[in-house]
Amino acid sequence: MFDWLVDPKYYTWILQGLGLTVEITLFGVFLGLAIGTLLAIGDIYGGKLGRGAITVYVEFFRGSPLFVQLFLAVYTVPAILNVQIDHYLLAFLVFGLNSAAYQKGYMKGAMQTILDDQMMAGLSTGMSTAQTLRYVILPQAYRIVIPAWTNEFCSLTKSTATVAFVGLFDLVSAGMSIRMWTYKILPVWLVIGAIYLIWITGFSKLMDIIYDKKKIPGVELPMQ
Amino acid sequence: MEAKNVYKTYGKNSKKADAKQIEAVKNVSLQIRKGDIKLIFGPSGSGKSTFLRCLAMLDIPDKGEIYLGDQCLTKPGVDLNKARARIGFVFQHIYLFRHLTALRNVELALRHVLKLPKEEARKRALAALAEVKVTDCAYKYPSQMSGGQAQRVGIARALARNPDIILLDEPTSALDPELTGEVIDTLRDLAKEGATMLIVSHEMPFARDVADEMIFYDEGKIVETGRPSIFFNAPSTDRAKKFMDRIIKRTTRE
Repeated sequence: MFDWLVDPKYYTWILQGLGLTVEITLFGVFLGLAIGTLLAIGDIYGGKLGRGAITVYVEFFRGSPLFVQLFLAVYTVPAILNVQIDHYLLAFLVFGLNSAAYQKGYMKGAMQTILDDQMMAGLSTGMSTAQTLRYVILPQAYRIVIPAWTNEFCSLTKSTATVAFVGLFDLVSAGMSIRMWTYKILPVWLVIGAIYLIWITGFSKLMDIIYDKKKIPGVELPMQ
Repeated sequence: MEAKNVYKTYGKNSKKADAKQIEAVKNVSLQIRKGDIKLIFGPSGSGKSTFLRCLAMLDIPDKGEIYLGDQCLTKPGVDLNKARARIGFVFQHIYLFRHLTALRNVELALRHVLKLPKEEARKRALAALAEVKVTDCAYKYPSQMSGGQAQRVGIARALARNPDIILLDEPTSALDPELTGEVIDTLRDLAKEGATMLIVSHEMPFARDVADEMIFYDEGKIVETGRPSIFFNAPSTDRAKKFMDRIIKRTTRE
């Protein structure tokens, strides 16, 4: 049933596909965290105009299918601008921007649980708002946000399968190719599914360990 | 430090029809000279804390002027961060940075506001912790200390920058009664060393011993000011008299 697995051609495909899936996911969640943090700060301090712009951004990326966003980015936008941009790069960006729309909410929530008192304490020592954000608010918010961020990682990993539709070779693309060559359906998807499961579980466990290590002593964090 | 005709109202910008407007500070003026120790007291909810936060520009007054030395802080364009660096502030609920040890709590502003090099900041932070006698907590996190220890770290954080004045907002009222003593002792030490302080507090024995002036504050206004001996013997306003009676009764019962 699984004899095809030892064929170098097939396991090379799987490794190649897994490589892209892992790359896109990691790039997406970290870029999403960086942009999400900026969006959260903008949402809190950006005034009416900033908040409005951020709401439009967030609703676009949360409210439309990822596949449509990917399609627009890879085919439509370069065609309109009449430029050639690497498809991989564009797909990476879409996942980062999409994830940022979700992570903005997590970061804002995490920041708001501590913002009032810790910001006033920071300002009272003569630090600026920016300094207090950097040295006081964000270090605490990042600790608080780890569990939500891990969920986002799990969900994003599986969403990356959509890149197969714009011609990139990820883990699901590898599965589809192997299925076509071997005519084995269930075994192939069982193997592909198991790989996702191991990668996601392993990474989540790692984040759990980091969360416990970085926990602020005695502070019970919300959003667990 | 001086406050001139300061006003602050809450709930003004709320669009809700039933929103309550709270006039926490109504035309309050106050002057504190170097070395002065003044104590503000009065019923809770009367706006004392708001007034104190206005002085530190942690709340921006609606009207009126705040002076630190001869610098007017309420003028537009003033670098408030620089001004706040010269004012120490101690909070009722302490507000230590929860992710940092006591030492790092004190160090943070020394490093990033005064821009001291690492070693000097550490030396000064340790000295400040020693001054309030919490050296043994230097490497503990806020949650691992008692309330009294945490509040003394809060005082060390305010002290370490050598501020021109220290504002203390009910530094003992969130603590268990048996822990207030250690914080009050710390404040007595500071008073002996000639620190300039404005304290919101109801610790009457402390007030009697160290305050140069007591200020009775009610309903957003200064009702009466005078030396402690006047308040303890014969306050001139009815409201102050009633309040003193109640507070002294409570203290003697304890």
